[in-house]
Amino acid sequence: MSPETSAPRVQEIGGLAGPFTLPGVNGGQINLSTLLDAKKGAVVVFWSGVCSHCIRYDGYLNSFTERHPELALAVIASRAGETPEQIRKTMAERGILFPIGHDQGSVVARQWSTEQTPRAFLVDSGGVLHYRGAIDNFKYPGDPEYVGHLETAISEFLEGKPVKRAETSSFGCAIQSVYYTLPKHL
Amino acid sequence: MSTSSWADLLRLPAQMVEIGLTVIDAGAKTMRERLDAMAAPPKPRLAPNTPPVHGPQDLDTALADFANQIIRIGWVSSPEGIPLRKFAGDVLNSARRAFGYMDLTNPRTLALPLELPLAAGGIAAETLLRMMALTSVVGPKRLKAFVTNAAEVYVDTAVFIGLEYKEVIERYKERLREKPDDYTTRLELGRMYVKCGLHDEAVRELDLAAQDPATRGRAKHESALAHYRAGRFPTAVDDGVAAMTADPSNERARAAMWLATRSMSGYPASVPESFRMELKVGYEPARVQFENIAAKIGLDKISAGRGTAVFDYNNDGLLDIVVTAAHAGCSLYRNNGDGTFTDVTVKSGLDKCINGFVIIAGDYDNDGFQDLFVTRQGFYYGDCGLYHNNGDGTFTNVTEKAGVQSWGPAYTASWVDYDCDGYLDLYVAYNLGGMFDRSLQNRLFHNNGDGTFTDVTEKAGLQSVFTTIGSCWGDYNNDGYPDLFLSSGLGRPQLFRNNGDGTFTDVSLEAGIVDPVVGTTCFFADYNNDGWLDIVQFSWSDHEDAIYTMKTGHGPEDGSPLVVYHNNGDGTFTAKTRDVGLDGCWGTMSGNYGDVNNDGYVDLLLGNGSPRMERLEPFILLENDRGKFSNTTFAAGLPFAGKSHGTNCADLFGDGRMSILIAAGGGYPGDLLMTAVHCPKELPGNYLNVRLTGVRSNRDGNGARITLRCGESRQMREVTNGASFGCLPLEQHFGLGKSGRVDSLEIRWPSGLVQRVEDPPVNQTIRVIEGQAGWSHVYAQPAESAG
Repeated sequence: MSPETSAPRVQEIGGLAGPFTLPGVNGGQINLSTLLDAKKGAVVVFWSGVCSHCIRYDGYLNSFTERHPELALAVIASRAGETPEQIRKTMAERGILFPIGHDQGSVVARQWSTEQTPRAFLVDSGGVLHYRGAIDNFKYPGDPEYVGHLETAISEFLEGKPVKRAETSSFGCAIQSVYYTLPKHL
Repeated sequence: MSTSSWADLLRLPAQMVEIGLTVIDAGAKTMRERLDAMAAPPKPRLAPNTPPVHGPQDLDTALADFANQIIRIGWVSSPEGIPLRKFAGDVLNSARRAFGYMDLTNPRTLALPLELPLAAGGIAAETLLRMMALTSVVGPKRLKAFVTNAAEVYVDTAVFIGLEYKEVIERYKERLREKPDDYTTRLELGRMYVKCGLHDEAVRELDLAAQDPATRGRAKHESALAHYRAGRFPTAVDDGVAAMTADPSNERARAAMWLATRSMSGYPASVPESFRMELKVGYEPARVQFENIAAKIGLDKISAGRGTAVFDYNNDGLLDIVVTAAHAGCSLYRNNGDGTFTDVTVKSGLDKCINGFVIIAGDYDNDGFQDLFVTRQGFYYGDCGLYHNNGDGTFTNVTEKAGVQSWGPAYTASWVDYDCDGYLDLYVAYNLGGMFDRSLQNRLFHNNGDGTFTDVTEKAGLQSVFTTIGSCWGDYNNDGYPDLFLSSGLGRPQLFRNNGDGTFTDVSLEAGIVDPVVGTTCFFADYNNDGWLDIVQFSWSDHEDAIYTMKTGHGPEDGSPLVVYHNNGDGTFTAKTRDVGLDGCWGTMSGNYGDVNNDGYVDLLLGNGSPRMERLEPFILLENDRGKFSNTTFAAGLPFAGKSHGTNCADLFGDGRMSILIAAGGGYPGDLLMTAVHCPKELPGNYLNVRLTGVRSNRDGNGARITLRCGESRQMREVTNGASFGCLPLEQHFGLGKSGRVDSLEIRWPSGLVQRVEDPPVNQTIRVIEGQAGWSHVYAQPAESAG
């Protein structure tokens, strides 16, 4: 249930990312070290079923491991108050196939300096952080300004090159907000 | 009674409304005091300190909350009739939410039978008076669209900020399961999907809604919008044609179609001539050429942008940038000094500062590092935050410790040393938090000099009559003390003269500040270089007026362009608009200023739009030529921005080129636009940048006045946060045109000290320290020119 390391740590590019073990919302466990076995690295995405921005990445994340068999994918639901039952319902509604770990109390999110969803990280097999930030700057298909931040980082990483732009600004929905604690509006 | 005669009846002089508001406030206060004397200590109508996580604690808030809840339920229910039982259930739930948490042990509750009508009457009367004021401002013709749009913004802000959009979608779906041919509900469901950025789902529903002739026009318009947002421009045009065929008066569909054709090779032959438009503004000759360098320098973030502040957070001399975001944390960008920026948000801790709106930088504890104050939401309740800059790249939330916590619809805020005691004070201004709401008094917090603040609003005599969107400070009467101007979205602006003894006098009427507009941001600046601070008040026009301006090159005769209050130098002002070239009507959400063409006159920057998904309009640059303005936006190479917040202007690279920073996008998750940084391609003229460091005065030099003399000409700048929604850097930029020299700088510090710098350099950024002769370079100099 709880992460393997309890001491909070600031994770910087080039430094170690904190390992975690989380219960999967559909059973089993999501353990970063296990995921990294026999892989070149892993992409960790903080996600929420309520986040109105994560919806755009359902297709991207569903097909992720097929596109990148050499990388593991760990999707973590950290949003305050979101229950495994709600997440399972959302997965069924949206046809979500990727496994999701439930981060009760947003503990891993805090360790990974994550305040909003979606936010992506790229770590190598040794658990060293190579990229953190936005998945991309998507506005619409065919946008001439489009930059796939995460995919660019993955390509550079897989080619053994240093990631040129290792940090970008995340954008999305807050994991914790006073507005989630107020009485409902409807 | 017909709509128009109602509107005629409502069109009463603005003063009557104001008297009404004041009487209600005074009456309610008196009666409350009586009741309070019977029951409990008095409670002034100030923002509460903490969020009502357990529901409203006082009757005014509870009633307003209940009324707003009913509006929300009505809004998301089918207009064809709500099943009575469901509605009754909803109302009961709302009542439970609104009143269920009131403290029944409070002796005041005994007076509930007396208080309830008083509170309900207060809210109802305030709302009615606001409607009257609004009618007199926008005119009866525009009232319905204005109120409908405002209601939608208020409903949606609450829904989206609490991430309850799924519940709304579920409500619509449930209704459609019961009644699949309820096309109005289907249209609303489609619109909801557009707001969420789910374009395919939106088009699916809107295509169905278009089957009914009654909803076809609107459905096709929304569908055009969905296709446009999804990058399917030709389909957007096809749907635009269908929308205008159903309703040829739909100007918003015309504009949407036109916008789509900008990403195509013009209008296809299928678009009838009568549905087309041409852009007729923004092509007057420009004296500066911009390019968007955001992606090149690392600021290309999808922003959902709100406020921005340009400040030097780490005291390395380079100007850094912080941007707030509607649903997430701030982004702090460190200037690397090589033309690029690095996102240092996580290290700074500002990622935890979520849902920010206006963000202002000011060194309140004079430790040499600028701190940040942030408001939330603007159109909805939120908790303000004070973030202390620790000097090591990190910030700490000290809101509570400093005593400046408040829960309310704070819109704007400013740092100001109103009593010139050497410490920055804080002014927080409140908008309305819902369609129904008792207004909150704006608050002035006096800095105690020990890291804490004391609310002195009442003592200072700063009674704001209307809810505030813009507030700014400047010494209009040259007496050495900063005065206050308030811009309201619902009534006349207010000017408060600082009496120099900690009190203020409302001098609006005698100063000639009487014209009500739908005011937004504002600032003090000397637009015509006559040595007196003028006031610029931006205004928000409706979408049709903005489209009219785009089509014809000028706003409609009965429209409301922005106003320049020209300072006559005798304590009075003259409102200038069309006579100085300001004849465009735009939905300015975030206006600001800066001398972008380096000619010595401050130019106006208008960040335009509205929260609505369909509302996309240009950012406007009005170049100022010796007091006359011309719209040079597109001639200067600026793109069609769409939706602009947090307009800022600063010399980011220390080379005299004033970049325009725009935090684009809106509050809806589907409203995706990127932060833009438009930098002049070449230096448009000589310049001098001046930074001040206060010693006896506040360290920021906030309120200091710099007068630059060069032969017969002079320029004057006062150090302030500018229009706040876009907090300008403290560095003052003087454009010098072709002039290769400056005779002198005269600095009048808030402490009263007047200091002169003779023969300062040009094309440099210099620092002047209070009480120390001479100046120093801010940026390291190349070896050959050192010394």
